[in-house]
Amino acid sequence: MELVIIISSLLFAAAACLIARKRAVIESVSVVASLISFVCTAVMAHTVTKTGPFCFHEFFCVDALGTIIMLIISVVGLATTAYSVAYLREETVKGIIGMPQVRRYYVLLNLFLLAMFFAVTSSNPIFTWISIEATTLSTAFLISFYNKPNAIEAAWKYLIINSIGLLLGFFGTLLFFTSMIGVKEPGFATWNTLLSHASHFDPTIAKIAFVFVLIGYGTKVGLAPMHTWLPDAHSKAPVPISALLSGVLLNVAFIAIIRFKVIADASIGEAFSQKLFIIFGLLSILIAALIIFTQKNYKRLLAYSSIENMGIAALGFGMGGLGIFAAILHMIYHSLLKSALFLTAGNVFLKYSSTKIADIRGMISVIPVTGILFLIGLFAITGTPPSGIFFTKLFILTAGIKSHPAVTIVAIFLVALLFVGFLKHAVAMIFGEKPNAVNTGEKGGLLIFAPMALVAIAVFLSFHIPVFLNTLLTQAVAHH
Amino acid sequence: MNMALSQFLLTLIFLTIVFLHIAKKNFMVAIAYGVQSLAIVILLAESYIITGSGTFLLIALLGLIVKVILAPIFIIHQIKKHNLKFLVSTYANMPFTLIIVAILTAIGHSHIFLPLVTIIPANREILSIALSALLISVFVIINRKGAISQIVGILSLENCIVAFGLFSVVDQSLILEIGIVFSISIWIVIATVFISMIYKHFGSLDVTKMKHLKD
Repeated sequence: MELVIIISSLLFAAAACLIARKRAVIESVSVVASLISFVCTAVMAHTVTKTGPFCFHEFFCVDALGTIIMLIISVVGLATTAYSVAYLREETVKGIIGMPQVRRYYVLLNLFLLAMFFAVTSSNPIFTWISIEATTLSTAFLISFYNKPNAIEAAWKYLIINSIGLLLGFFGTLLFFTSMIGVKEPGFATWNTLLSHASHFDPTIAKIAFVFVLIGYGTKVGLAPMHTWLPDAHSKAPVPISALLSGVLLNVAFIAIIRFKVIADASIGEAFSQKLFIIFGLLSILIAALIIFTQKNYKRLLAYSSIENMGIAALGFGMGGLGIFAAILHMIYHSLLKSALFLTAGNVFLKYSSTKIADIRGMISVIPVTGILFLIGLFAITGTPPSGIFFTKLFILTAGIKSHPAVTIVAIFLVALLFVGFLKHAVAMIFGEKPNAVNTGEKGGLLIFAPMALVAIAVFLSFHIPVFLNTLLTQAVAHH
Repeated sequence: MNMALSQFLLTLIFLTIVFLHIAKKNFMVAIAYGVQSLAIVILLAESYIITGSGTFLLIALLGLIVKVILAPIFIIHQIKKHNLKFLVSTYANMPFTLIIVAILTAIGHSHIFLPLVTIIPANREILSIALSALLISVFVIINRKGAISQIVGILSLENCIVAFGLFSVVDQSLILEIGIVFSISIWIVIATVFISMIYKHFGSLDVTKMKHLKD
């Protein structure tokens, strides 16, 4: 029932945005739809915690991992939708966008959130693929939102690379269905059906299928070397969309890989998928570490940080055991912090009218609250103690030190390198002499409240994991 | 299925993708895609005749409307609108392109993918052709510098996967098949809109002209 309400409210909001003439109506229905989604997700989380996974239709099932990702979608979705109201109003005042773009933005935003909810709750791998493909289609025009050559270029790159990736993922998905050959009346094959037939899966085909799925959906996750679209797309989209792309969508695609991993593991054992996760994870961290020092654009800096953090999550799943628990927790922290960082980056852009790191100086004196939030966010996301990400990285590396000592040592070195790289840029942006052309003072309201709320939740979760979340995490680890 | 007909249609699909590598005119690329899609539609129709499954018939009809009729019309409309008569060149020159196509075809028939093409042992030859076509479709997307060729390359890749699926795996429920066709339809519309946007901003569909992401 709750999912029906979520789907209905987001669909209604998208339709209303298309029809409504007044901006206030468009903004209100979008925020209310996000709020309804949040409340319904919370109710669903409560149900899953109390009674375990459940299905409410042939097409839709919710398990612990799905619920965690749904919570991420709804929390970040609500924050970004609320932030969008204030941010797009500022951009309208500056003459950057007009009413037709505002309308298009909210229609696509609601459809984007809807597609992500579908992808996570879908009980069928092909329906998941359709939903993830829908996220590509809904966000392509959001990335090209500003209709500038660089935005068009980024969106085209995003569309082509992700479409190839997803088609390869689709091919892998079809190969997973070969385990159903010979089954009389195969009917509607769910994730659970495929899992129950995993023993019939030819081991060699299982390996090839998983490689295709990992490369395919891994493209959407931004794992290196398929990451090339990510820094461009995430840096050219409007910041609330960048927040959703980096903070949420990457996890939605990741969950698809994890679901296939469970099936592949049941057929060929964990070693194969773990090895691949470690390779792609480490490569992603390496790419981010190599590029971080030479970065000139703070939105691209945050995008590369997403590649690093997805790499760390992949490394966690590769290490297994405690690493899986830490990887899921890492995805939660990363979502909250990265979204908050992108939203604060929006405030920086509104004040400095530039995305170049070299142009941003003296944030702490020009926009103090945003500056502090940005600093906290950067310290937390790089894993400075006592942030939650410090512990998740620690757990992941601890999980790997015995089984993969060389990988762990390299990962520690790269993580340290990334910390230094981030610190170098952060110190330059936050402190230093403010440019003369920039006036001191910042806008309040939702521009501050939305990122602050996300940082506050991340900080809270760093020190205390509520019982319901712990239950969901434990259930998710047990099944993955 | 009638093996001779299936082999003929798969070979036709394969040849249309090879043609995408050597074609000089955009119009011919759109037509080649239409022919290729028609071959897929005939395969689906043949599946309907053999199995009697309404799913195949409906998907064949949807494929006919979307891939055989609408997609080429969309692409040809863009070609005429922007007067894009000739294709943008390739990264690799023609002899080198053909050598790579030959190598990829050989890989599709090699032992590397033996487990895949023997999923249904009776369909081994057909699956090998489908796999080779799949590999050279990916190469079309990589090698061609033109946006239209990249779009057609992706659509061809999708056709090859459908062809491979037809001869290797169980069918899925109707609604999912419709969902796939629907998402491909939306993709075609979005991609053609992007063609207009790219031409408007860059004055060409040569993707190597896009160099604004250097910061």
